[in-house]
Amino acid sequence: MNEQPVKYHRPLSPRISIYRWRAPMLASIAHRASGVALVLFVPLYLWLLHGMTSSPDHYDATLTWLHSLPGKCSLWFVGVALVYHFSNGIRFLLIDVGWGESRKMMRFSALVVLFIAALASLMFAWLLFL
Amino acid sequence: MRTVKEPGSAHGGLSDWYWQRLSAVVLAFLLPLSFLLMLMVFSGAVDQQGLLDILDHVASRVLHTLLILALMVHAYMGLKVILEDYVHMLAWRIPLIATMLVLMSGFGIWWLALIWAWA
Ligand code: HEM
Repeated sequence: MNEQPVKYHRPLSPRISIYRWRAPMLASIAHRASGVALVLFVPLYLWLLHGMTSSPDHYDATLTWLHSLPGKCSLWFVGVALVYHFSNGIRFLLIDVGWGESRKMMRFSALVVLFIAALASLMFAWLLFL
Repeated sequence: MRTVKEPGSAHGGLSDWYWQRLSAVVLAFLLPLSFLLMLMVFSGAVDQQGLLDILDHVASRVLHTLLILALMVHAYMGLKVILEDYVHMLAWRIPLIATMLVLMSGFGIWWLALIWAWA
């Protein structure tokens, strides 16, 4: 064994610093970020259902929390992450089965998905806060 | 001699990839429904009785069961890939993934019990 294994000094996986920012790259990174954000959806949803299926007092308290600022912000955050991860997830699945694999299509569909998410963030803000 | 880079069987990667996509398809159908339910409760379109009627229905229990299973598989596979990307020290990575698996299975089982228990 001549080579010294350079175990812990390998570069971290997405070497963001060496790339130029492009829509498809942004779409991929946002997919990872929204995936992590959606993990929060799981306990939130369970906790809400749990509160809403017990006594009427408990239901009212949960509903009041939903209408409070932290509640609305959680709904907004989870909603935007969901719309983004959903749209881009379908985009990824379509690319996996061989649809829209050309560089031009990948760029176009990335822009479409990012646009949908931006639109959803505005729509949810309007729905929840106004 | 080459050092072994990743622990685990060589065929594990394909099945992870496959399960990530299978669960994604299930989630694509079911997750928007659950978010919609939250929005309907938020807006007052559904009151507590209405919510209980929906949740009581056997179709809703079956769909929630599928949703939970898909969520656990999808979130586990997804977070595992991310940990494998960023945590390079195996002494950290493996216990982290194992802890995640135990926590998530426990959480999933608890949730399943709740779904089938609520009257
Ligand atoms: C709305 C339905 C969903 C669809 C269609 C979907 C689709 C996908 C797809 C296709 C991937 C693979 C991406 C890749 O390998 O590059 C993925 C990754 C992932 N998903 Fe989802 N997903 C959904 C919901 C969720 C939910 C609810 C969570 C969280 C609990 C989640 C968390 C993740 C994570 C953490 C990853 C890994 C990201 C990465 O490796 O960078 N997804 N999703």
